[in-house]
Amino acid sequence: MINSFALDWYFIAIILFIGLYCMLVSRSLLRQLIGLEIMSKAALLAVISSGVLTNNLSLAQTVIITMIVIEVVVVATGLALLAKNFRVNKSVDIWDLKGLKG
Amino acid sequence: MERGLLAYILIPLLSAVIIPFAARNKPRLADILANVTLLAGLSNLAYLLLNANSFAEVPGDGFSLLMVFTIYLVALCVVFFSAFFAGAMPNRQAYYCLLLTSVAAMCGVVTTSDFFTLYIYVEVLAVTSFALITTDDTSAGLEGAIKYFLLTFPASVFIIVGLSLLLLSIGSFSFESVQLFLSAGMPGGTVLFAMGLILLGFLIKSGIVPFHAWTPDAYQGSFSPVSAHLAGIVTKVSGVYAIIRISMLMRLSEGMAEALAGTLMFLGMLSIIVGAIAALRQKDLKRMLAFSSISQLGYIVLAAGLGTPLAIIAAIFHLFNHATFKTVLFLNSASLEHASGTTDMEKMGGMEHAMPWTSWTSVIALLSTAGIPPLSGFWSKLLIIIALWAGGAKVYAMLALLFSIVTLAYFMVMQKKIFFGKKSEAAETASEVSAPMLAPVVLLSAVIITVGLLFPWFYTYLVETIAKRMIL
Repeated sequence: MINSFALDWYFIAIILFIGLYCMLVSRSLLRQLIGLEIMSKAALLAVISSGVLTNNLSLAQTVIITMIVIEVVVVATGLALLAKNFRVNKSVDIWDLKGLKG
Repeated sequence: MERGLLAYILIPLLSAVIIPFAARNKPRLADILANVTLLAGLSNLAYLLLNANSFAEVPGDGFSLLMVFTIYLVALCVVFFSAFFAGAMPNRQAYYCLLLTSVAAMCGVVTTSDFFTLYIYVEVLAVTSFALITTDDTSAGLEGAIKYFLLTFPASVFIIVGLSLLLLSIGSFSFESVQLFLSAGMPGGTVLFAMGLILLGFLIKSGIVPFHAWTPDAYQGSFSPVSAHLAGIVTKVSGVYAIIRISMLMRLSEGMAEALAGTLMFLGMLSIIVGAIAALRQKDLKRMLAFSSISQLGYIVLAAGLGTPLAIIAAIFHLFNHATFKTVLFLNSASLEHASGTTDMEKMGGMEHAMPWTSWTSVIALLSTAGIPPLSGFWSKLLIIIALWAGGAKVYAMLALLFSIVTLAYFMVMQKKIFFGKKSEAAETASEVSAPMLAPVVLLSAVIITVGLLFPWFYTYLVETIAKRMIL
């Protein structure tokens, strides 16, 4: 049991850092969003893994389904922002977002 | 979830559903519906708060009730202001729908009693904020919203990982079980790590200094009444409220959470310093107010990190005061933008003659922010500094006092550049905004003065009704 648990969290950490890396190195806003998605998938895996370990799978599943719904809404809003940004600025480069300074 | 306060979540939500249908081609009807919903809620809450008998029947602690009252107060002022704000607002119905949904989500945040529900409401609040920031379709608004989005999403990831660790170690998300676990004195390394991750998420969401990159951009870029809504209440509720809650839980752990509390205090102090110094050199009015907002949030987090009962009361009181005076300042910046067409402080000047009411309400709000007696901001800062001194953090107390003077300095610079001095071109053509647009600002200024003058009574009230029912 503990071995599979350790393996779970090993993968969770790896996926989390893949997402973080994707966010850090890419300039395209779309890729940043993909990196964010990967990170949040790792977080959801963490929830289900702790549910399995504590024999509390039903609570973990309810929580996860709600979180997925919330996440879909957030990502849909984010994609709407990116699409609108592309229409207004004709660019998805994150370094083009420098209109506000002070 | 407190059942007694559920109506304050559901009624704005119902109104938000009704407005797009009922007022599809009648923008005035949308104004009226939104205002009536919030006014009814506010008068109901005022009755509850001022009537000791009915107050006793409300379940839960008084902190939630005071926060719900603040949310309704600020939201009503913003909605009333934007009904008369003739800026570029393409879709009134959608705007009110989003604003009322965000009010419902904020009430959910402050009345919930477990971390998972808290997370859900915070996400709902974040989604409505992204949409509200881009109300006027400018590229600045989009930029602010995208920066906000890219920084709050990782914060949610941290919160979810924290929640999973909480599930792993306690098996439940409720405040009560965390409190029981921490006060039992068992070694709680995992729980404290989970608390640390959740705190990190909420620190990002509230824009405390190492994570403050999104705050000035989002406030500066957004539609003007929306910046008042965001700065006045949204970021306080989505971030700082949870920080105060967690520090109320952490102080039960008998010294195990010292590192976390120390980090919170350090970050609070850092925010005060960086926010105040950055505000000194800003040229854009809204951006300067945003940095001032970061600096004032620093005071709240500093007091929350200390965690003594007096410090928690002071943090809550400063949260309330910050909501009132920052809303006044941001609504005044919207009025100035409306009158002169710019938010650049260099281009304004001598607006005092054209806009006396706006000028004087700004003076009241900024003196309250800087902590000049007898206005309300003085008392909350005094309480914070007394609590810090009594709690042994004497260096922090001295620094907090010092940077209170810096606050006064940058606000004096702002007041001189905008309202006093030589008449500029903008001031020649500008005229005072209409009376309905002044009404919310005057109301909030009256609240600042009243709370300041009646402070002894207000303090007794805070201690008697609110602090006694809190887990301190």
